[in-house]
Amino acid sequence: MVIWSAELRRAVRSGRAVVLLGLYSMFSALVLLVVGWLTAQVRNVVLQQLADADADTMANATARINEEMRKGVLGIFTSNDSALVEALAQVPLEVLIVFKITLFFLPAYIALMGFDQISGEVGPRSIRYLTVRARRSSVLLGKFLTQASLLLGLVLIIDLAIFVYARIANPDFGFAAMGLNLLKFWLAAIVYSLAYVALTTLCSCLFRVPAVSLVFNFILMFVFWLLATIGQAPGNADSSLRFLRYVSPSHYAGDLLHPGLAQFGTSGAAYAAFAFVFLMAAYGILRARDL
Amino acid sequence: MSDLAIELFGVSKRFGPKVAVSGVSFSVPRGSVYGLIGPNGAGKTTTFSMMCGYLYPSEGTLKIMDVDPTTPGALKGRLGALPQDAVLPPGWEVGALLTYWARLSALANPEREAREALDKVGLMEAWKVQTQALSHGMAKRAAMAQALMGSPPLVLLDEPTAGLDPRIAAQVRQVIRDMKGRQTVVVSSHNLQELEELCDAAAILDKGTLAQAGTMSELTGQGAEFRVQIAKGQVIIPELTAMPHVTDARMESDTVLRVSFSGGVAPEQVISHVVRHLLQHDVLILGVSRGQRLEDRVLQML
Repeated sequence: MVIWSAELRRAVRSGRAVVLLGLYSMFSALVLLVVGWLTAQVRNVVLQQLADADADTMANATARINEEMRKGVLGIFTSNDSALVEALAQVPLEVLIVFKITLFFLPAYIALMGFDQISGEVGPRSIRYLTVRARRSSVLLGKFLTQASLLLGLVLIIDLAIFVYARIANPDFGFAAMGLNLLKFWLAAIVYSLAYVALTTLCSCLFRVPAVSLVFNFILMFVFWLLATIGQAPGNADSSLRFLRYVSPSHYAGDLLHPGLAQFGTSGAAYAAFAFVFLMAAYGILRARDL
Repeated sequence: MSDLAIELFGVSKRFGPKVAVSGVSFSVPRGSVYGLIGPNGAGKTTTFSMMCGYLYPSEGTLKIMDVDPTTPGALKGRLGALPQDAVLPPGWEVGALLTYWARLSALANPEREAREALDKVGLMEAWKVQTQALSHGMAKRAAMAQALMGSPPLVLLDEPTAGLDPRIAAQVRQVIRDMKGRQTVVVSSHNLQELEELCDAAAILDKGTLAQAGTMSELTGQGAEFRVQIAKGQVIIPELTAMPHVTDARMESDTVLRVSFSGGVAPEQVISHVVRHLLQHDVLILGVSRGQRLEDRVLQML
C-alpha cells in the first residue's frame, strides 16, 4: 500500500502520465475523426444515389441502410451473437469502432507506460533501497497496482471523451444509456488491460535494461497476436492449430461486453488467469534474481 | 539472541564462470565497528551485497542479526544499508523520498526520522531538492541518511566517505563513531587510515578470499610487535632474541629494528626491557612505534 500510493503520486506528478494521456487521446481522436468521416461519406454516397426517389422511399431506404451498416459492424464485433447485438444496439457505431481499435492498441500503450517499472529500478540498483525495507513481492505488487491505477484513470478519461463526442453527434443517444454503456466499456477495457499490465510487469522483471524490456514486451504482444490470428484462421478450423487461439489473451475480448453474466464471467476469468500467471512468473523471476 | 550481528560460513558467489567471493567466513560482534578491507575486485561489495540480501550466495550461509538475509522481509527494521552504486530514484524531492522510505520501514514518525537523518549528514538544505539535481557528494549523503533512519541495530556502509569533501567526510566519520557501542556498523572502504581509526576489527579480502580477519590490534600487530627507529649505534640481535618473551628481532632496514614478542605479555614490559638494553649498549633511539600501520600491513599482505 505504501509503495502503491507513493509511486502513484510520483507517476501522476511526472510529465510521463500527461504525455501518455495526450498521446492516447490524440490517437483516439484521430481514429474517431477518421471513422466519423468515413461513416458520413458512406451515408452521403448512398443518399446521393437515392436523391431521385420520393421522400418516403428515401426515409425508408436511409433507415434500412443505417440498420444494415450497424448490423455489419456489430457482426464483426459480436460474431453475430444476438444477445450481444441487442445489448450494443443503443451504442453509436463510432463508439464501437473506436473502442475496438483503441482496444487493439491499448497493450502497446500499457507497454510504453510501464516497461521500466522494475527494470528501471534494477538497472541503476535503486531497488536496493526498497528491498531492505519491503519484500520483493510487495515491491512488485506496488508497482503493478500503480500501473493498473494509472490505466484506470487514463482509460476512463478517454472513454468519457469518446462517449461525450458520441452523445453530441447522436442526439438520440440518451444520458442514461451513455452512462450505463460508459461504465460497461470502461470495465471491459480495464479487465482486458489488467492482463497486459501484468505482462508488462513480467517483461520489466526479466531484464535490467528498460529498452530491452520494452522490445521484448512488443515481441510477446506480436507472438500473442500471431497465435490468435493462426488459431482463428478459417483454414485452421479443423486443425489442431485452432487451439492456439486459447493461449492468446486477445481471444477472450469478444465477450467482455456481453450482457450474459456467464459469458462476461468466463472472459473476465480468462483475463484474471492471464494476469495471475504473468504476475506469478514476474514474482518468481524477481524473487530468484540478484539485484 | 546471538552476540554476533553477522556470521558468514564458507560463503561463495559466482557470476557465471567468474568467482567473485570464495569460501569466506568471518563474524562481526554486536556493537562493534567492523571494516571490510581489500583492493578493487577483492569481493568487498559482493560480500556486502550478500549481507544485505541483494545477492544470493552460490554456496555457504549467512546470518544477519540472526536471520537469513534472503528470507523475504527478514531484514526490515534490522538493517540500514548504504549501497555503493545504487542511484537515488529520480522524480523525488529528497525529503519526500526519505519520508516515503521511513514509512516503508514502518518508523513511527517518518518525517521526523527523515529530517533527523538528513540533519546528521548535514544535508537539511536539500529537503526540497529533486534527487536528480543532487551533486555526487550530496547524493551520497542523502543515501547515507536513509541508512541511518530509525537507528537500525545494524548499519552497513559501502564506501561512505568516497567522493566527499574532507569536512563532510569528517562529519560522516563522527556519525559512525557516535554509533559505536549502540549499533553494529560495517564499513567497507579503501581509506585504510579511516578504517584503522574507526574500526574495532576488520576482515581483509583479496581476490575473493579472506586474507585475514581479526581485531584491529591483531591485524596491525600492536599486541605482538614493535619497531625501534635507530639513530646511531650497533644493535646486537642475538642478545635481543635471548631476552624473555622476545620471539624474534631483526633489522628491517639500516635504521629500523623490528621486535616480535609472545602474546599474553604486557607490551609495555617488553618494550621497556628492549629499550633499556639498547640504551645500555649506547644505541641512540629516535622513536618507538607499536605494531604496523594498517595500510602497511595490508600492503605487505596483499
